[in-house]
Amino acid sequence: MKPVYQMENSGISFFFSPASVAVVGATEEPGKISNIILRSLIRAGFKGEVYPINPKYSSVLGMECLASIDDIPEKADIAVLAIPAPAVPSVLKSARGKIRGAIIVGGGFAEAGEAGLNLEKEVRDIAYKSGIRIIGPNCMGIYDTVSRLDTFFIPEDRIQRPAKGGLSIISQSGSFAVTAMDELAADGIGVARVVSYGNKTDVNEADCLDFLADDPETKAVAVYIESVEDGRRFVEAASRCSARKPVMAVKVGKGGAGITAARSHTGAIAGRYEIYRAAFKKAGVIELDGYEEFLAACKAFGMQGRAAGNRVMIITDGGGVGVGLSDACHSLGLDVAPLPEGLAEKLKTEFPSYFAIGNPLDLTGSATDESFALSLQKTMSGDHYDIAIVAALWGPPALTDNLPNMLSQKPGFTEKPILICTPGGVYSRQRFSLFREAGLPVFATPEAAVRAASVLARGARRG
Amino acid sequence: MDTRAIEKIVKEALSLGRKNLLEPEAKAIIGHASIPVASHRVVKDVVGAIEAAKEINYPVALKVVSPDILHKSDAGGVSLNIKDASELETRWTQMILELADEMPLSAIEGFLVEEMAPPGTEVIIGGIRDAQFGPAVMFGLGGVAVELLKDVSFRLAPVTKEEAFAMMAEVKSFPLLTGYRGSTYKDLDAIANAIMKVGEILTEVSSIKELEINPLVVYERGAVAVDARAIIS
Repeated sequence: MKPVYQMENSGISFFFSPASVAVVGATEEPGKISNIILRSLIRAGFKGEVYPINPKYSSVLGMECLASIDDIPEKADIAVLAIPAPAVPSVLKSARGKIRGAIIVGGGFAEAGEAGLNLEKEVRDIAYKSGIRIIGPNCMGIYDTVSRLDTFFIPEDRIQRPAKGGLSIISQSGSFAVTAMDELAADGIGVARVVSYGNKTDVNEADCLDFLADDPETKAVAVYIESVEDGRRFVEAASRCSARKPVMAVKVGKGGAGITAARSHTGAIAGRYEIYRAAFKKAGVIELDGYEEFLAACKAFGMQGRAAGNRVMIITDGGGVGVGLSDACHSLGLDVAPLPEGLAEKLKTEFPSYFAIGNPLDLTGSATDESFALSLQKTMSGDHYDIAIVAALWGPPALTDNLPNMLSQKPGFTEKPILICTPGGVYSRQRFSLFREAGLPVFATPEAAVRAASVLARGARRG
Repeated sequence: MDTRAIEKIVKEALSLGRKNLLEPEAKAIIGHASIPVASHRVVKDVVGAIEAAKEINYPVALKVVSPDILHKSDAGGVSLNIKDASELETRWTQMILELADEMPLSAIEGFLVEEMAPPGTEVIIGGIRDAQFGPAVMFGLGGVAVELLKDVSFRLAPVTKEEAFAMMAEVKSFPLLTGYRGSTYKDLDAIANAIMKVGEILTEVSSIKELEINPLVVYERGAVAVDARAIIS
């Protein structure tokens, strides 16, 4: 149960615009959590004050090190507690009136048996009495490209940080958040805020969604869920957020048992996942199926906006890939609508007679950069299609490295999403990154591209 | 919806220490929410049954009413399509013997004599209460589709009319309601109404944990609840 005081609290936005951060347990020792966090703050160019705290040192990484939170000249917005679990309660108690929020990154709490459970209860009580908001424990905390706060304590040579972008991710699991960040960074997809809230003893997914709904930096939200305790509040917060920007979620642990010792068919059939799915529907949350779809969705929504509907235009220079894309679209409920008659006629006058004019539109081995761009312009302007999938095979000799930039200019349909599919070996894989650099979501297989298209289309439907 | 009357039924059953409602009680509840219910009488003995059947008109169904028997047909407690008084007497005797055999220790509170609903398409509408997300409603088509294939859809309650229609359209067996292979187009509004009402009951009456109409028989015009059960606490 959430303590009542939070209802009157001003929310958690200060976690995302802190003027000052204290790092409790600061040390010079490389590889230690607090050391990694301090280095991240310096490297990322955190603009506010940083206070290393540790009674053992007078300076850490060239900064003055204070003996306790009490020694902070005024107040700090956030304290990151990188100390052993048993030391957390006393530090929190001493921080009363000195900090607004704490990120407890260490484990050894509710996830670690009875002693840990009691420790977490104690932490919650102290937070309740002192009005200190808590993220964690047992979490990675916040990676924020806006405030440049980075408490993710994995060194950057292991886990790359994504650049600034419009996607925000909230996750119960720290390792999931970290891995997703690393993949997004490698794919050139930027993020705004990433929050790993771990045991969520105080701040939970609903608090984060409340904040992200109002956050102008966040254009889309991806959520990783293991469990939700306050279901109705989650539905409220997610509904409010999804009314303003796309919200998508993956729920793991689908095999949960039914609701009651079932005595009706309904009770027997209603597994945990069915209820989560019902909740997602109520809240307008796009349901994602597993890790691959999560990444595809992040790529699609990280680089493109919602689609207005499910009508897909396929443009390719490989007939086979076109048919494969078309099949994949059908099986995911996307509409590969035929070309409207007038448009087909127009295209026939523009293109050589051996181009296959239809949907898929096959530009054959005679494809050029210009023919791709022209096809895109002619088919996507007007209200015939909602999403374009361009499958570029690199065999046709006339295609050049200018193609990605020509496509990214989206002639005539600035609002509609475009997805690229470019399967192939060494040469094609090198071209893959050109699309990425042009800001287009690019996929190596037809199935992956279509999956992303289906996520964008699901964003269009409410109810 | 008569919330107070529904609460009264649940309260009385709870005061008797019961965790589930009898079929007539569950039917009274959905009746109070204006979901159409097959007309029926509860009787104590065979004389009462014959009198009730005369009022209801043959053919009738005969069902045992017992707090101890949740799966009536498995225990031999359901007899369908009874055509006249003499058949009713015979079937009555058969049922008593079979129940004595299958469930000798169960308390029998009486028998339900009910009009035989004409054949239609059977659907199941269930309400459940989830610890985290609160009341939710399930929809599916009757029989194998639900039990074996789990071809069902869920929504959190309260359910809007739009959501109720989306729930129907979501199940794979939906075409069975819309004229598949020459069958007739069924009254989807009547189903939507029942879905919404079940959601409303669960939302309004917190002592009902599960409520299930199985089946609701649906026709070209209208629908009727033939069996219902409820878990309370």
